[in-house]
Amino acid sequence: MDDIATDILRRTIRKIPVKKLQDTLKSWEHISTSQLETLDFSQPKWVFLENLRSLCEENDLNVKHVTELEMIYHIRNPNQGTWHACQLLEAEDEALSVELTQFREQFKAHLMEVMRHVSVKIKKHEDQAIWIRIAWGDNFNKPNQLKPTYVVHYLQTPYVFVSKLSSKHKPYLYQALVLSTRHSSIKDAHLSGSSLIALRDLLMRQYQQVFPTNQSRPLQERNALPSHPNIGKEHAELAEKRLQMACEAFGDGTVPKLETAVYRLETKYKGNGNDTLIDRDEPFKGVVQFTSTNLLESLRHCVASGMADAPVTPLLSSITQKGRNYFVITEKGPGAASQMTGRKI
Amino acid sequence: MSETSQLSGLDADASRQSDSSDPGLCNRSLRENVRKKVDAETQFRLSLKYLSEVEAGTVVKGNDQLERNLVVVESVALSRGLSPEAISILLDFALSLRVGGNICLRVLKFLIPATIVTQDAVVRGVSWLCVGKMPMSAQVLFVRWVLTVFDLVDCKDQLRDIYGFIFSFVTDENLCPYICHLLYLLTMKEHVKPYRVKKLLDVQAKMGRQPFLSQLLALYKVFCPELVVVSLPSRMKIGFKNHNSPWKSALAAVQRKNRGEVLTDQSLVLAVKEKPTSRKRKLHHLEIPPLSSAFHSSSSNRKVFRLEQLSSFSQLLENLHNIELPAQMGSLLSSSLALHYLDCVQDESASLRLNFWLGDSLHQEFLFGPADGSSEASGEASHFLSMLLSTQHFLQEGFSSTESFLYKFLSVWDGSLFRPQILGLLSDIPLVPSSCIKTLLFEPLMQLYFTSTVFFKCSVIECLNIMLVKWLTWHSVSASEDSLDISLNSTSAMSMTLSGFMDSVMELVRFVGRLATVGLQLENCHALLLCHALNFYETVCDMFLKYSLPLFVMPPVGVFYPALFAVDSVTVDQLGYIMARYRKNLTLAKKQEQQKQQTFHVRGNTYKEFNQLLVTMVSCLWNSKMFLPGMGMEIGEDLLAQSSVPEFWNSFDLIHHPAFLSYAIEFHQKCWPERRDVDLNSIKVGKYRNWYMEFLLNQGFDGLKEFVQVNINQRSISSGSQGDGQPVSQT
Amino acid sequence: MALLTPFNKMPELNTANILLVENEEQFQTKLADVIVNYEKQINVNVRLARKLPLPIENADTRPRIDLVVFIVNLIYERSLQAMESSIKHLDSGFFVGKVCFLVTGARCGSVSHERLLSVRKLAASLHCPMLCAEDQTTEGVRAAALRLLSIVKVSAGLVPTATALYLSALTRCTLPAELDQD
Repeated sequence: MDDIATDILRRTIRKIPVKKLQDTLKSWEHISTSQLETLDFSQPKWVFLENLRSLCEENDLNVKHVTELEMIYHIRNPNQGTWHACQLLEAEDEALSVELTQFREQFKAHLMEVMRHVSVKIKKHEDQAIWIRIAWGDNFNKPNQLKPTYVVHYLQTPYVFVSKLSSKHKPYLYQALVLSTRHSSIKDAHLSGSSLIALRDLLMRQYQQVFPTNQSRPLQERNALPSHPNIGKEHAELAEKRLQMACEAFGDGTVPKLETAVYRLETKYKGNGNDTLIDRDEPFKGVVQFTSTNLLESLRHCVASGMADAPVTPLLSSITQKGRNYFVITEKGPGAASQMTGRKI
Repeated sequence: MSETSQLSGLDADASRQSDSSDPGLCNRSLRENVRKKVDAETQFRLSLKYLSEVEAGTVVKGNDQLERNLVVVESVALSRGLSPEAISILLDFALSLRVGGNICLRVLKFLIPATIVTQDAVVRGVSWLCVGKMPMSAQVLFVRWVLTVFDLVDCKDQLRDIYGFIFSFVTDENLCPYICHLLYLLTMKEHVKPYRVKKLLDVQAKMGRQPFLSQLLALYKVFCPELVVVSLPSRMKIGFKNHNSPWKSALAAVQRKNRGEVLTDQSLVLAVKEKPTSRKRKLHHLEIPPLSSAFHSSSSNRKVFRLEQLSSFSQLLENLHNIELPAQMGSLLSSSLALHYLDCVQDESASLRLNFWLGDSLHQEFLFGPADGSSEASGEASHFLSMLLSTQHFLQEGFSSTESFLYKFLSVWDGSLFRPQILGLLSDIPLVPSSCIKTLLFEPLMQLYFTSTVFFKCSVIECLNIMLVKWLTWHSVSASEDSLDISLNSTSAMSMTLSGFMDSVMELVRFVGRLATVGLQLENCHALLLCHALNFYETVCDMFLKYSLPLFVMPPVGVFYPALFAVDSVTVDQLGYIMARYRKNLTLAKKQEQQKQQTFHVRGNTYKEFNQLLVTMVSCLWNSKMFLPGMGMEIGEDLLAQSSVPEFWNSFDLIHHPAFLSYAIEFHQKCWPERRDVDLNSIKVGKYRNWYMEFLLNQGFDGLKEFVQVNINQRSISSGSQGDGQPVSQT
Repeated sequence: MALLTPFNKMPELNTANILLVENEEQFQTKLADVIVNYEKQINVNVRLARKLPLPIENADTRPRIDLVVFIVNLIYERSLQAMESSIKHLDSGFFVGKVCFLVTGARCGSVSHERLLSVRKLAASLHCPMLCAEDQTTEGVRAAALRLLSIVKVSAGLVPTATALYLSALTRCTLPAELDQD
């Protein structure tokens, strides 16, 4: 156990709640059951840590093993940090036949090719997700195990989720991903959030969607509570219509948990007063950010309760429709900044 | 003087550092102890030692040892509280910024005293403040901490000595609110100096009329009115806010744990509120602060006696002249001894401070609080109001801050929230001048009254009845001392002439008359409401005899007739009592007037009104006459004929009155048990009539009996001839 | 848009109809439940609306309205604005004791103070009563519902000794005294 291993062990153990410690250590499989029994989980963390470290030393564990524990922790707690979604483009014919062993070998090989010091760990999770932990180094330094990048990829889909990736390492990772999954390019999907599951659900449309119909609405039964015959709702139809439209835009039932939506405005100033702003030729820059613990649900409620106008503006419905939460809004027509990273909507 | 105390503080600190043992040794022993089960006490002491010896510039980030020791101390502090020495050491450790600002903030947040805080520690803290290196957040947090533990500081004489140093921070914009509060608690008369007043006014000119500045100035004005010539708002909105949020729950928990040992023989009539669990809600205003326990330290050279030390009434009497008020005046509410003190000491600053605290709490909680519907919160709030109510009853007067709160609360009240307490407090308010009684009291009450249920109507009338009784009692007590001026309240200088007082009472009686009349009309003469209205007139009719107030107001016809024609006998009986008392009062007034004993004059109209009601009542009940001219209620002959009620004039005499019909029938059966067909008119003949009257009046109708005795002379009863209501003659 | 009028339909026997207008649609449902479940002697119908004018499609099924209650949540500026725009769609015949304002959140301090004042001014200028209510507690909802019931009974003509105009003369909002200005 060197200092780095101890450090990683300490950081990881501190993050795991006491209740889940035993279970997590069991699934790590590097500490025997009898050894586990000697540990007192009710001790303060720092005392417990000392005891655990001595066990690790007994078992002769090193950095490699400890990073495994860290990975287990991350797989079990996917909602850590910020995840960014990327989309692989132009799949080659073999893309559909890529399987785990092949991917693992190729990915590692491609990364090693360009970087001398990099440590990669790949683990398959139950739900078909491949978890990749990358500790980056460079040609002269050993991999920094304390600041790893986590990548999650679902095989045979074009979606990759990345967390804690510095821009310096981005090209290497992208290249390795493109090559090992048999695609020809990759791009930023402009979708980010702290819940990995939510990003996946949104992109893969794994939430309850509602489609416009002209038939009598199925929502009606659910919504019409058995109310007293003497209570009449004047705006009942209107309310239903709004709910229908809200669900069409943002989904029904539990919706993916997004935290933010950011709109970068690069349009001309419109509004009355303030001539200096109206007359300017260059766009008026501004950022509009919506935040909520569950943004989609908040928006749906806003529309359903009439706080926001229905039908829903495409600016908001694009979040689910296009699966992104970062937009750059530019002026239509010629001369508009076409080199913007985001497409206009 | 202040400098010397500061220096001595620093000396003590230096000596402690010099006799400490080798840090390396300490660290080694620590590492060994980690493996074993360590005795918590030793561990704590070692950690404390480690912290006291940390050198300036020690790396904080990733310093596990520092972290570990901090955690040990923190957990002890939060669970058991810290000893005075530990507080001293930690305060010094934090404020010296040896390990930077963040740790300083962290340490300050867990400085929970177990018993007391030594004055030295605070003085040394202030000296660190004077060094001026601390970041602003730490400065603010330190002063807030001092405010929170102020009651636990063993004595305050040295703190008062460095008043000038503390005062110098007033100019700091961020610290100003807290410093003002601290000064407010420390200020004695000798501290009020012209240059300080000037400085405060300068600050006020710069920062605007901030409540904390106004409060401090108001206190200065109490001590030295000649120095503070500016006018201050008479009714201040908010005093000082509570600054104890970072420590509140921990402090409460530690104190609760330790209270068992410290506070044993304090006779608290009203129990100090026990807080079951710490909650996230910001309801710290409503907690009645406990009278904080502290030990009298011998180092204090000024002889003061703290309220929380009092344990008996005799002790209070002995130390009455040198009692020191606690920092949080709200704690007075929970101790009966403290209330005795407040009652007998004409100390304006005490009641001023208590009023500030109360006004702030009431406003914060009931007018500015986001109303969440949890039953626990409303339970706490109603407990608070009940305690306030019982305090006011104990002192037998309302606080002026309660009064101004009530006026505001009434205008946004839904008529149901804390109804018993609010109406109770409302009935406690001192006399309201007749010029503003309408807008302050009557208009908001009218809206509530007319849109609420009959039970609410009853309780409003009951509340106003109690209010009237209290006003009249005030009058009768103070009128004996001085027949014209009535001091409304022992603490306020406001006084009022007799005619002003009569105007207010008149307004109130008229208002209730209107409420009762229209209320009875809307509620279809509800018996309960009628009963409450008559209760009110029982107070009104006796104002002259009982409270020697020469004011006579007759019940409006809207109350009189529903009572006279009520279907239950109790109501008619009550009306009889009221009319009899009116007669007694008026007769006495007339006698005094004729003998020129009194300066007052009863309007002739009053007699006329009374006589008309009396004649109507006697004619109806006794003489079987109705709807005759001059009786106040006339109906045309032809209309009465159309109604085809046979012998309508009989309908409301004592035999046929719906309230007494059952008695008449019972009497009839007793007289003629063999008769099958009931002929009530036969009771009217000869001796039966007298027997019936005797029978009826012996059923417990004392009011009616009194009415008959006063108004109908014995001759007419015995002769069986028609009785006559003898009107009180008019002059 | 069509005005809502008070006298274009015949009253029904022993029936009172109350229209609750609230932009947020939160408090009105709670109130409606209590109102219809509490009153047993007469038949009370509650109509819930978000704003005026009411949809024309419902005009036929809608009974004669005896009392219009505007619920204003003082915490939201929008609630006040919605009420102000709704009130224009009311026939002047309602303003003889058949309109009442119900505000919530009046105890929430300085935020709502300005709005409370403007509701009060409006109510005073229209000679309508303004009631305060506690919408967070069941007890508060019940109290508000009972007060509305007692008003609607009068304005529907079910209390023989009083008329709507009479009651509103007694309860109508008065402009706040100097107390509110300090």
